[in-house]
Amino acid sequence: MRAGALPTFLQLGGRKTAWAVLIACFLALVPLQRGVDRQLTAQRKLEESLYLPSGKILRRLAMGHEGLLANIYWTRVVQYFGRKKLAHSARFDLLGRLLQITTELDPQLVIAYRFGAIFLAEKPPGGAGQPQVALQLLRRGIVANPNYWRLWQDVGFIYYWDLKDYASAARAFQTGSERPGAHLWMRVLAATVAAEGGNIASSRLLWSEIYRQADDDQIRRSAFEHLQALRAQEDLEEINKLLGQYRQKQGRAPGSLQDLVAGGYLPAIPRDPSGAPYRLAPEGSAGLSQGSKVDLRLLQ
Amino acid sequence: MSRVASIALHTFKESVRERVLYNLIAFALLLIGAAILFGSISVGVEEIILVNLGLSSISVFGLLMAIFIGIGLVSKEIERRTIFSILSKPVHRAEFIVGKYLGLLLTLVINTAIMTAGFYVALLYQKRTLRLADLLVLEAVYFILLQFALVVGLALLFSCISTPVLSAVFTLCLYIIGNLLGDIRWFGQETGNALVENGTAVLYYLLPNFGNFNAISQVSHGEGIPGYLLISNSLYALLYVAILLSASIMIFEEKEFR
Repeated sequence: MRAGALPTFLQLGGRKTAWAVLIACFLALVPLQRGVDRQLTAQRKLEESLYLPSGKILRRLAMGHEGLLANIYWTRVVQYFGRKKLAHSARFDLLGRLLQITTELDPQLVIAYRFGAIFLAEKPPGGAGQPQVALQLLRRGIVANPNYWRLWQDVGFIYYWDLKDYASAARAFQTGSERPGAHLWMRVLAATVAAEGGNIASSRLLWSEIYRQADDDQIRRSAFEHLQALRAQEDLEEINKLLGQYRQKQGRAPGSLQDLVAGGYLPAIPRDPSGAPYRLAPEGSAGLSQGSKVDLRLLQ
Repeated sequence: MSRVASIALHTFKESVRERVLYNLIAFALLLIGAAILFGSISVGVEEIILVNLGLSSISVFGLLMAIFIGIGLVSKEIERRTIFSILSKPVHRAEFIVGKYLGLLLTLVINTAIMTAGFYVALLYQKRTLRLADLLVLEAVYFILLQFALVVGLALLFSCISTPVLSAVFTLCLYIIGNLLGDIRWFGQETGNALVENGTAVLYYLLPNFGNFNAISQVSHGEGIPGYLLISNSLYALLYVAILLSASIMIFEEKEFR
Protein backbone atom coordinates (compact mmCIF):
# COMPACT_ATOMS: atom_id res chain seq x y z
CA MET A 1 0.00 0.00 0.00
CA ARG A 2 1.31 3.38 -0.95
CA ALA A 3 2.05 5.79 1.86
CA GLY A 4 -0.22 8.45 0.38
CA ALA A 5 -3.18 6.08 0.13
CA LEU A 6 -3.02 5.06 3.80
CA PRO A 7 -4.64 8.13 5.37
CA THR A 8 -7.49 8.06 2.84
CA PHE A 9 -8.21 4.43 3.59
CA LEU A 10 -8.03 5.04 7.34
CA GLN A 11 -10.22 8.06 7.01
CA LEU A 12 -12.90 6.13 5.14
CA GLY A 13 -12.62 3.12 7.42
CA GLY A 14 -12.54 5.35 10.47
CA ARG A 15 -15.63 7.25 9.42
CA LYS A 16 -17.58 4.07 8.78
CA THR A 17 -16.48 2.61 12.10
CA ALA A 18 -17.42 5.82 13.87
CA TRP A 19 -20.90 5.75 12.29
CA ALA A 20 -21.34 2.11 13.23
CA VAL A 21 -20.22 2.75 16.81
CA LEU A 22 -22.47 5.78 17.07
CA ILE A 23 -25.60 3.98 15.83
CA ALA A 24 -24.86 0.85 17.87
CA CYS A 25 -24.37 2.88 21.02
CA PHE A 26 -27.60 4.80 20.50
CA LEU A 27 -29.49 1.55 19.93
CA ALA A 28 -27.93 0.04 23.04
CA LEU A 29 -28.91 3.09 25.08
CA VAL A 30 -32.64 2.41 24.72
CA PRO A 31 -32.78 -1.01 26.47
CA LEU A 32 -30.19 0.20 28.96
CA GLN A 33 -32.32 3.22 29.92
CA ARG A 34 -35.42 1.03 30.15
CA GLY A 35 -33.56 -1.26 32.53
CA VAL A 36 -32.51 1.68 34.67
CA ASP A 37 -36.08 3.01 34.66
CA ARG A 38 -37.41 -0.35 35.82
CA GLN A 39 -34.95 -0.49 38.68
CA LEU A 40 -35.57 3.08 39.74
CA THR A 41 -39.35 2.93 39.56
CA ALA A 42 -39.40 0.68 42.58
CA GLN A 43 -37.19 3.05 44.53
CA ARG A 44 -38.62 6.42 43.64
CA LYS A 45 -42.15 7.60 43.19
CA LEU A 46 -41.53 10.66 41.10
CA GLU A 47 -45.20 11.41 40.94
CA GLU A 48 -45.50 11.71 44.68
CA SER A 49 -42.49 13.93 45.24
CA LEU A 50 -42.08 17.66 45.29
CA TYR A 51 -38.82 18.90 43.81
CA LEU A 52 -38.81 21.83 46.20
CA PRO A 53 -41.47 22.06 48.88
CA SER A 54 -41.71 25.84 49.10
CA GLY A 55 -42.98 28.22 46.46
CA LYS A 56 -41.43 31.11 48.36
CA ILE A 57 -37.93 29.60 48.08
CA LEU A 58 -38.52 28.76 44.44
CA ARG A 59 -39.63 32.33 43.81
CA ARG A 60 -36.32 33.62 45.18
CA LEU A 61 -34.33 31.16 43.07
CA ALA A 62 -36.29 31.97 39.92
CA MET A 63 -34.48 35.31 39.36
CA GLY A 64 -37.30 36.98 37.47
CA HIS A 65 -38.59 33.83 35.81
CA GLU A 66 -41.10 32.92 38.55
CA GLY A 67 -43.97 33.31 36.07
CA LEU A 68 -42.50 30.57 33.90
CA LEU A 69 -41.92 28.34 36.94
CA ALA A 70 -45.52 28.91 38.03
CA ASN A 71 -46.68 27.82 34.57
CA ILE A 72 -44.54 24.69 34.82
CA TYR A 73 -45.99 23.89 38.26
CA TRP A 74 -49.52 24.58 37.03
CA THR A 75 -48.97 22.19 34.13
CA ARG A 76 -47.70 19.67 36.69
CA VAL A 77 -50.94 20.15 38.64
CA VAL A 78 -53.01 19.50 35.51
CA GLN A 79 -50.97 16.43 34.57
CA TYR A 80 -51.01 15.08 38.16
CA PHE A 81 -54.78 15.55 38.44
CA GLY A 82 -55.39 14.04 35.00
CA ARG A 83 -53.26 10.97 35.73
CA LYS A 84 -54.94 10.39 39.09
CA LYS A 85 -58.37 10.80 37.58
CA LEU A 86 -57.59 8.38 34.75
CA ALA A 87 -56.34 5.87 37.32
CA HIS A 88 -59.62 6.36 39.31
CA SER A 89 -57.49 7.16 42.33
CA ALA A 90 -59.18 8.46 45.45
CA ARG A 91 -55.95 9.95 46.82
CA PHE A 92 -54.65 13.30 45.61
CA ASP A 93 -51.97 13.79 48.28
CA LEU A 94 -49.84 16.28 46.39
CA LEU A 95 -52.58 18.35 44.81
CA GLY A 96 -52.97 20.93 47.58
CA ARG A 97 -49.19 21.45 47.96
CA LEU A 98 -48.61 21.71 44.22
CA LEU A 99 -51.33 24.33 43.98
CA GLN A 100 -49.85 26.23 46.91
CA ILE A 101 -46.42 26.30 45.24
CA THR A 102 -47.96 27.40 41.93
CA THR A 103 -49.83 30.29 43.51
CA GLU A 104 -46.90 31.30 45.71
CA LEU A 105 -44.77 31.53 42.58
CA ASP A 106 -47.37 33.61 40.75
CA PRO A 107 -50.12 34.94 43.06
CA GLN A 108 -51.87 36.52 40.04
CA LEU A 109 -52.35 33.21 38.21
CA VAL A 110 -56.12 33.21 38.86
CA ILE A 111 -56.72 30.15 36.72
CA ALA A 112 -54.77 28.08 39.29
CA TYR A 113 -57.09 29.20 42.12
CA ARG A 114 -60.26 28.68 40.08
CA PHE A 115 -59.51 25.30 38.48
CA GLY A 116 -57.46 24.19 41.47
CA ALA A 117 -60.46 24.74 43.75
CA ILE A 118 -62.63 22.63 41.45
CA PHE A 119 -60.02 19.84 41.39
CA LEU A 120 -59.77 19.93 45.18
CA ALA A 121 -63.44 20.24 46.05
CA GLU A 122 -65.06 17.68 43.77
CA LYS A 123 -65.82 14.35 45.41
CA PRO A 124 -63.60 11.34 44.54
CA PRO A 125 -63.09 9.90 41.98
CA GLY A 126 -63.85 13.15 40.15
CA GLY A 127 -61.63 15.15 42.49
CA ALA A 128 -59.79 15.17 45.80
CA GLY A 129 -62.91 15.69 47.96
CA GLN A 130 -61.20 18.41 50.02
CA PRO A 131 -63.59 21.40 49.91
CA GLN A 132 -61.98 23.03 52.97
CA VAL A 133 -58.54 22.99 51.30
CA ALA A 134 -60.21 24.42 48.18
CA LEU A 135 -61.67 27.25 50.27
CA GLN A 136 -58.22 27.98 51.76
CA LEU A 137 -56.77 28.18 48.26
CA LEU A 138 -59.52 30.54 47.11
CA ARG A 139 -59.11 32.75 50.19
CA ARG A 140 -55.39 33.10 49.40
CA GLY A 141 -56.40 34.00 45.86
CA ILE A 142 -58.80 36.66 47.14
CA VAL A 143 -56.06 38.22 49.29
CA ALA A 144 -53.72 38.37 46.27
CA ASN A 145 -56.45 39.51 43.83
CA PRO A 146 -58.97 41.43 45.97
CA ASN A 147 -60.90 42.87 43.04
CA TYR A 148 -61.37 39.63 41.14
CA TRP A 149 -65.02 38.91 41.91
CA ARG A 150 -65.13 35.46 40.28
CA LEU A 151 -63.10 33.99 43.16
CA TRP A 152 -66.04 34.90 45.43
CA GLN A 153 -68.32 33.14 42.99
CA ASP A 154 -66.15 30.02 43.35
CA VAL A 155 -66.18 30.31 47.17
CA GLY A 156 -69.98 30.54 47.09
CA PHE A 157 -70.16 27.61 44.73
CA ILE A 158 -68.13 25.34 47.04
CA TYR A 159 -70.23 26.35 50.06
CA TYR A 160 -73.38 25.71 48.05
CA TRP A 161 -72.53 22.55 46.18
CA ASP A 162 -69.93 20.69 48.23
CA LEU A 163 -70.60 21.83 51.80
CA LYS A 164 -74.39 22.50 51.48
CA ASP A 165 -73.83 25.57 53.64
CA TYR A 166 -76.34 27.85 51.93
CA ALA A 167 -76.02 30.78 54.35
CA SER A 168 -72.23 31.01 53.75
CA ALA A 169 -72.79 30.53 50.02
CA ALA A 170 -75.26 33.44 49.95
CA ARG A 171 -72.79 35.63 51.88
CA ALA A 172 -69.97 34.79 49.44
CA PHE A 173 -72.16 35.58 46.40
CA GLN A 174 -73.22 38.83 48.07
CA THR A 175 -69.60 39.87 48.85
CA GLY A 176 -68.54 39.01 45.30
CA SER A 177 -71.42 41.02 43.87
CA GLU A 178 -70.01 44.12 45.60
CA ARG A 179 -66.63 43.82 43.84
CA PRO A 180 -65.95 46.06 40.84
CA GLY A 181 -67.21 44.64 37.54
CA ALA A 182 -69.24 41.84 39.17
CA HIS A 183 -72.17 40.59 37.11
CA LEU A 184 -75.65 41.51 38.30
CA TRP A 185 -76.72 37.88 38.54
CA MET A 186 -74.36 37.46 41.52
CA ARG A 187 -76.82 39.57 43.50
CA VAL A 188 -79.73 37.51 42.18
CA LEU A 189 -77.88 34.35 43.14
CA ALA A 190 -77.13 35.69 46.63
CA ALA A 191 -80.80 36.54 47.17
CA THR A 192 -82.10 33.25 45.71
CA VAL A 193 -79.73 31.08 47.73
CA ALA A 194 -80.42 33.09 50.91
CA ALA A 195 -84.18 32.75 50.45
CA GLU A 196 -84.51 29.23 49.07
CA GLY A 197 -81.31 27.37 50.01
CA GLY A 198 -80.41 24.37 47.90
CA ASN A 199 -83.55 23.84 45.83
CA ILE A 200 -83.59 22.95 42.16
CA ALA A 201 -84.33 26.52 41.03
CA SER A 202 -81.24 28.01 42.66
CA SER A 203 -79.10 25.06 41.53
CA ARG A 204 -80.28 25.61 37.97
CA LEU A 205 -79.50 29.31 38.19
CA LEU A 206 -75.99 28.54 39.47
CA TRP A 207 -75.15 25.96 36.81
CA SER A 208 -76.75 28.02 34.02
CA GLU A 209 -74.47 30.94 34.82
CA ILE A 210 -71.42 28.65 35.00
CA TYR A 211 -72.40 27.16 31.64
CA ARG A 212 -72.94 30.61 30.12
CA GLN A 213 -69.62 32.05 31.27
CA ALA A 214 -67.31 29.03 30.98
CA ASP A 215 -64.29 29.66 28.76
CA ASP A 216 -63.15 26.09 29.15
CA ASP A 217 -64.85 23.19 27.34
CA GLN A 218 -64.45 20.82 30.28
CA ILE A 219 -66.24 23.18 32.66
CA ARG A 220 -68.96 23.90 30.11
CA ARG A 221 -69.51 20.17 29.63
CA SER A 222 -69.65 19.59 33.37
CA ALA A 223 -72.19 22.43 33.76
CA PHE A 224 -74.22 20.97 30.89
CA GLU A 225 -74.26 17.54 32.52
CA HIS A 226 -75.34 19.04 35.85
CA LEU A 227 -78.13 20.97 34.11
CA GLN A 228 -79.28 17.76 32.40
CA ALA A 229 -79.31 15.94 35.74
CA LEU A 230 -81.31 18.77 37.34
CA ARG A 231 -83.86 18.67 34.53
CA ALA A 232 -84.14 14.89 34.79
CA GLN A 233 -84.66 15.17 38.54
CA GLU A 234 -87.44 17.70 37.99
CA ASP A 235 -89.04 15.46 35.34
CA LEU A 236 -88.88 12.44 37.64
CA GLU A 237 -90.53 14.39 40.49
CA GLU A 238 -93.31 15.41 38.09
CA ILE A 239 -93.84 11.85 36.79
CA ASN A 240 -93.89 10.50 40.37
CA LYS A 241 -96.67 12.99 41.19
CA LEU A 242 -98.68 11.67 38.22
CA LEU A 243 -98.02 8.08 39.34
CA GLY A 244 -99.49 9.00 42.74
CA GLN A 245 -102.56 10.51 41.08
CA TYR A 246 -102.97 7.38 38.93
CA ARG A 247 -102.80 5.11 41.98
CA GLN A 248 -105.36 7.27 43.81
CA LYS A 249 -107.87 7.32 40.92
CA GLN A 250 -107.42 3.77 39.60
CA GLY A 251 -106.88 2.12 42.96
CA ARG A 252 -103.85 0.21 41.63
CA ALA A 253 -100.29 0.89 40.60
CA PRO A 254 -99.58 1.27 36.87
CA GLY A 255 -97.65 -1.56 35.19
CA SER A 256 -95.61 0.83 33.07
CA LEU A 257 -95.51 4.46 32.01
CA GLN A 258 -97.57 3.45 28.99
CA ASP A 259 -100.52 3.10 31.43
CA LEU A 260 -100.15 6.84 32.25
CA VAL A 261 -100.30 7.61 28.54
CA ALA A 262 -103.32 5.37 28.05
CA GLY A 263 -105.03 6.99 31.05
CA GLY A 264 -104.46 10.47 29.62
CA TYR A 265 -102.02 11.56 32.33
CA LEU A 266 -99.22 11.96 29.81
CA PRO A 267 -99.41 12.75 26.05
CA ALA A 268 -96.49 10.36 25.37
CA ILE A 269 -93.74 8.58 27.27
CA PRO A 270 -91.43 11.42 28.24
CA ARG A 271 -87.75 11.37 27.40
CA ASP A 272 -84.86 12.52 29.55
CA PRO A 273 -82.45 15.27 28.35
CA SER A 274 -80.18 12.67 26.71
CA GLY A 275 -83.14 11.44 24.62
CA ALA A 276 -83.73 8.13 26.41
CA PRO A 277 -87.32 7.38 27.57
CA TYR A 278 -88.04 7.36 31.30
CA ARG A 279 -89.22 4.05 32.72
CA LEU A 280 -91.10 2.70 35.67
CA ALA A 281 -88.63 1.21 38.15
CA PRO A 282 -89.48 -2.12 39.90
CA GLU A 283 -90.09 -0.28 43.21
CA GLY A 284 -92.91 1.65 41.56
CA SER A 285 -91.33 5.06 41.03
CA ALA A 286 -90.11 6.67 37.81
CA GLY A 287 -86.46 6.29 36.88
CA LEU A 288 -83.91 6.58 34.11
CA SER A 289 -83.68 3.85 31.50
CA GLN A 290 -80.47 1.87 31.08
CA GLY A 291 -79.55 3.69 27.89
CA SER A 292 -79.74 7.08 29.55
CA LYS A 293 -76.62 9.26 29.57
CA VAL A 294 -77.87 11.42 32.43
CA ASP A 295 -75.93 10.96 35.68
CA LEU A 296 -78.12 11.70 38.71
CA ARG A 297 -75.17 10.99 41.04
CA LEU A 298 -73.87 14.43 40.11
CA LEU A 299 -76.58 15.92 42.30
CA GLN A 300 -75.62 14.00 45.42
CA MET B 1 -17.33 60.36 18.00
CA SER B 2 -16.81 58.86 14.57
CA ARG B 3 -13.94 56.82 16.01
CA VAL B 4 -16.26 55.40 18.69
CA ALA B 5 -18.82 54.62 15.99
CA SER B 6 -16.30 52.86 13.79
CA ILE B 7 -15.02 50.74 16.72
CA ALA B 8 -18.65 49.93 17.61
CA LEU B 9 -19.39 48.93 14.04
CA HIS B 10 -16.27 46.82 13.87
CA THR B 11 -17.20 45.11 17.17
CA PHE B 12 -20.70 44.50 15.84
CA LYS B 13 -19.34 42.93 12.64
CA GLU B 14 -16.97 40.79 14.68
CA SER B 15 -19.75 39.69 17.06
CA VAL B 16 -22.10 38.61 14.31
CA ARG B 17 -19.38 36.33 13.00
CA GLU B 18 -19.49 34.34 16.27
CA ARG B 19 -21.15 30.98 15.66
CA VAL B 20 -22.33 30.77 19.25
CA LEU B 21 -24.62 33.71 18.53
CA TYR B 22 -26.58 31.85 15.87
CA ASN B 23 -26.79 28.72 17.99
CA LEU B 24 -28.23 30.70 20.87
CA ILE B 25 -30.75 32.51 18.65
CA ALA B 26 -31.80 29.17 17.14
CA PHE B 27 -32.30 27.67 20.60
CA ALA B 28 -34.27 30.71 21.75
CA LEU B 29 -36.57 30.59 18.71
CA LEU B 30 -37.00 26.84 19.18
CA LEU B 31 -38.02 27.34 22.81
CA ILE B 32 -40.44 30.12 21.88
CA GLY B 33 -42.01 27.75 19.33
CA ALA B 34 -42.10 24.95 21.91
CA ALA B 35 -44.12 27.23 24.20
CA ILE B 36 -47.12 26.62 21.91
CA LEU B 37 -46.86 22.86 22.50
CA PHE B 38 -46.22 23.35 26.22
CA GLY B 39 -49.38 25.45 26.50
CA SER B 40 -51.44 22.69 24.92
CA ILE B 41 -50.72 20.24 27.77
CA SER B 42 -51.84 22.73 30.40
CA VAL B 43 -55.25 24.29 31.09
CA GLY B 44 -56.27 27.90 30.60
CA VAL B 45 -52.76 29.40 30.48
CA GLU B 46 -51.75 28.92 26.84
CA GLU B 47 -51.04 32.60 26.20
CA ILE B 48 -49.47 33.18 29.64
CA ILE B 49 -47.07 30.27 29.04
CA LEU B 50 -46.13 31.64 25.63
CA VAL B 51 -45.38 35.09 27.10
CA ASN B 52 -43.48 33.68 30.09
CA LEU B 53 -41.47 31.12 28.14
CA GLY B 54 -40.91 33.50 25.22
CA LEU B 55 -39.63 36.36 27.36
CA SER B 56 -37.60 34.04 29.61
CA SER B 57 -35.93 32.57 26.51
CA ILE B 58 -35.11 36.05 25.21
CA SER B 59 -33.73 36.97 28.63
CA VAL B 60 -31.67 33.82 29.29
CA PHE B 61 -30.22 33.43 25.79
CA GLY B 62 -29.52 37.16 25.53
CA LEU B 63 -27.76 36.97 28.87
CA LEU B 64 -25.62 34.08 27.61
CA MET B 65 -24.75 36.07 24.48
CA ALA B 66 -23.88 39.15 26.54
CA ILE B 67 -21.59 37.12 28.81
CA PHE B 68 -19.90 34.89 26.24
CA ILE B 69 -19.20 37.66 23.76
CA GLY B 70 -18.68 40.40 26.36
CA ILE B 71 -15.91 38.59 28.23
CA GLY B 72 -13.77 38.46 25.11
CA LEU B 73 -14.25 42.08 24.11
CA VAL B 74 -10.92 43.33 25.45
CA SER B 75 -9.04 40.15 26.31
CA LYS B 76 -9.30 38.83 22.74
CA GLU B 77 -7.78 42.02 21.36
CA ILE B 78 -4.91 41.66 23.82
CA GLU B 79 -4.49 37.96 23.12
CA ARG B 80 -4.44 38.48 19.34
CA ARG B 81 -2.22 41.52 19.81
CA THR B 82 -4.54 43.56 17.60
CA ILE B 83 -4.76 46.02 20.49
CA PHE B 84 -1.34 47.39 19.50
CA SER B 85 -2.41 48.29 15.98
CA ILE B 86 -5.64 49.86 17.28
CA LEU B 87 -3.97 51.94 19.94
CA SER B 88 -1.14 53.00 17.62
CA LYS B 89 -3.80 54.85 15.65
CA PRO B 90 -5.18 58.14 16.96
CA VAL B 91 -7.75 56.34 19.15
CA HIS B 92 -8.13 57.23 22.78
CA ARG B 93 -8.38 54.28 25.15
CA ALA B 94 -11.72 55.58 26.46
CA GLU B 95 -13.08 55.68 22.91
CA PHE B 96 -11.97 52.07 22.44
CA ILE B 97 -13.87 50.93 25.56
CA VAL B 98 -17.03 52.89 24.76
CA GLY B 99 -16.94 51.72 21.13
CA LYS B 100 -16.55 48.10 22.19
CA TYR B 101 -19.44 48.45 24.63
CA LEU B 102 -21.77 50.05 22.09
CA GLY B 103 -20.85 47.50 19.43
CA LEU B 104 -21.88 44.55 21.60
CA LEU B 105 -24.98 46.35 22.81
CA LEU B 106 -25.99 46.91 19.18
CA THR B 107 -25.51 43.19 18.53
CA LEU B 108 -27.73 42.35 21.48
CA VAL B 109 -30.41 44.87 20.47
CA ILE B 110 -30.60 43.34 17.00
CA ASN B 111 -30.64 39.78 18.35
CA THR B 112 -33.34 40.69 20.85
CA ALA B 113 -35.35 42.25 18.01
CA ILE B 114 -35.06 38.99 16.04
CA MET B 115 -36.13 36.88 19.05
CA THR B 116 -39.00 39.30 19.79
CA ALA B 117 -40.15 39.05 16.18
CA GLY B 118 -40.05 35.24 16.59
CA PHE B 119 -42.14 35.59 19.73
CA TYR B 120 -44.79 37.67 17.93
CA VAL B 121 -44.93 35.14 15.08
CA ALA B 122 -45.59 32.41 17.68
CA LEU B 123 -48.23 34.61 19.36
CA LEU B 124 -49.91 35.26 16.02
CA TYR B 125 -49.89 31.55 15.26
CA GLN B 126 -51.48 30.79 18.62
CA LYS B 127 -54.10 33.55 18.72
CA ARG B 128 -54.62 33.98 14.97
CA THR B 129 -54.67 37.73 15.61
CA LEU B 130 -52.65 40.41 17.38
CA ARG B 131 -54.15 43.19 19.48
CA LEU B 132 -52.77 46.54 20.59
CA ALA B 133 -52.55 45.15 24.15
CA ASP B 134 -49.97 42.60 22.94
CA LEU B 135 -47.51 45.49 22.60
CA LEU B 136 -47.27 45.44 26.43
CA VAL B 137 -44.74 42.66 25.99
CA LEU B 138 -42.35 45.25 24.53
CA GLU B 139 -42.16 46.94 27.94
CA ALA B 140 -40.76 43.73 29.45
CA VAL B 141 -38.43 43.35 26.44
CA TYR B 142 -37.18 46.88 27.12
CA PHE B 143 -36.39 45.93 30.72
CA ILE B 144 -34.59 42.82 29.47
CA LEU B 145 -32.49 45.05 27.22
CA LEU B 146 -31.65 47.27 30.19
CA GLN B 147 -30.44 44.13 31.99
CA PHE B 148 -28.28 43.28 28.98
CA ALA B 149 -26.82 46.79 29.05
CA LEU B 150 -25.70 46.19 32.63
CA VAL B 151 -24.42 42.66 31.93
CA VAL B 152 -22.36 43.84 28.93
CA GLY B 153 -20.91 46.60 31.15
CA LEU B 154 -19.97 44.06 33.81
CA ALA B 155 -18.49 41.63 31.27
CA LEU B 156 -16.47 44.44 29.72
CA LEU B 157 -15.16 45.54 33.11
CA PHE B 158 -14.06 42.03 34.01
CA SER B 159 -12.65 41.56 30.52
CA CYS B 160 -10.27 44.43 31.31
CA ILE B 161 -8.97 42.86 34.50
CA SER B 162 -9.22 39.11 34.16
CA THR B 163 -9.17 36.05 31.92
CA PRO B 164 -12.28 35.19 29.86
CA VAL B 165 -13.23 32.21 32.05
CA LEU B 166 -12.96 34.14 35.30
CA SER B 167 -14.76 37.12 33.70
CA ALA B 168 -17.67 34.83 32.80
CA VAL B 169 -17.80 33.45 36.34
CA PHE B 170 -17.66 36.91 37.93
CA THR B 171 -20.32 38.33 35.61
CA LEU B 172 -22.66 35.40 36.17
CA CYS B 173 -22.15 35.56 39.95
CA LEU B 174 -22.89 39.28 40.01
CA TYR B 175 -25.98 38.70 37.90
CA ILE B 176 -27.25 36.10 40.38
CA ILE B 177 -26.36 38.24 43.42
CA GLY B 178 -27.94 41.24 41.70
CA ASN B 179 -31.20 39.30 41.45
CA LEU B 180 -31.13 38.40 45.13
CA LEU B 181 -30.14 41.81 46.53
CA GLY B 182 -33.58 42.47 48.00
CA ASP B 183 -33.38 39.22 49.98
CA ILE B 184 -29.77 39.83 51.02
CA ARG B 185 -30.76 43.18 52.49
CA TRP B 186 -33.79 41.66 54.19
CA PHE B 187 -31.64 38.92 55.74
CA GLY B 188 -29.30 41.63 57.03
CA GLN B 189 -32.20 43.48 58.63
CA GLU B 190 -33.50 40.26 60.17
CA THR B 191 -30.21 39.53 61.96
CA GLY B 192 -30.63 42.63 64.15
CA ASN B 193 -26.86 43.11 64.00
CA ALA B 194 -26.02 46.71 63.05
CA LEU B 195 -22.78 45.73 61.30
CA VAL B 196 -24.42 43.07 59.13
CA GLU B 197 -27.39 45.32 58.51
CA ASN B 198 -25.22 48.20 57.33
CA GLY B 199 -22.98 45.87 55.35
CA THR B 200 -25.93 44.39 53.43
CA ALA B 201 -27.35 47.89 52.92
CA VAL B 202 -24.05 48.98 51.34
CA LEU B 203 -24.09 45.90 49.08
CA TYR B 204 -27.68 46.68 48.17
CA TYR B 205 -26.75 50.08 46.77
CA LEU B 206 -23.30 49.16 45.50
CA LEU B 207 -24.12 46.13 43.34
CA PRO B 208 -26.33 46.26 40.24
CA ASN B 209 -29.91 45.50 41.25
CA PHE B 210 -31.14 43.21 38.48
CA GLY B 211 -34.33 42.54 40.44
CA ASN B 212 -35.55 46.01 39.39
CA PHE B 213 -36.00 44.81 35.83
CA ASN B 214 -38.04 41.65 36.42
CA ALA B 215 -41.39 42.36 34.80
CA ILE B 216 -42.08 39.21 32.77
CA SER B 217 -44.68 37.75 35.11
CA GLN B 218 -46.49 41.09 35.41
CA VAL B 219 -46.67 41.55 31.64
CA SER B 220 -47.85 37.95 31.14
CA HIS B 221 -51.02 38.88 33.08
CA GLY B 222 -51.61 41.87 30.82
CA GLU B 223 -50.50 44.40 33.43
CA GLY B 224 -48.47 47.30 32.11
CA ILE B 225 -45.38 48.72 33.79
CA PRO B 226 -46.03 52.11 35.45
CA GLY B 227 -44.44 55.08 33.67
CA TYR B 228 -42.38 56.14 36.69
CA LEU B 229 -40.81 52.67 36.85
CA LEU B 230 -39.93 52.82 33.15
CA ILE B 231 -38.22 56.17 33.68
CA SER B 232 -36.50 55.34 36.98
CA ASN B 233 -35.22 51.98 35.72
CA SER B 234 -33.91 53.61 32.53
CA LEU B 235 -32.09 56.19 34.64
CA TYR B 236 -30.77 53.48 36.97
CA ALA B 237 -29.37 51.48 34.04
CA LEU B 238 -27.88 54.63 32.49
CA LEU B 239 -26.13 55.62 35.73
CA TYR B 240 -24.87 52.12 36.42
CA VAL B 241 -23.57 51.68 32.87
CA ALA B 242 -21.77 55.02 33.25
CA ILE B 243 -20.17 53.71 36.47
CA LEU B 244 -19.10 50.43 34.81
CA LEU B 245 -17.70 52.15 31.71
CA SER B 246 -15.83 54.71 33.84
CA ALA B 247 -14.30 51.90 35.91
CA SER B 248 -13.38 49.97 32.74
CA ILE B 249 -11.78 53.08 31.22
CA MET B 250 -9.81 53.78 34.42
CA ILE B 251 -8.46 50.21 34.48
CA PHE B 252 -7.78 50.15 30.77
CA GLU B 253 -5.96 53.52 30.95
CA GLU B 254 -3.59 52.08 33.54
CA LYS B 255 -3.02 48.83 31.67
CA GLU B 256 0.39 48.24 30.18
CA PHE B 257 0.63 46.03 27.11
CA ARG B 258 3.83 44.12 26.41
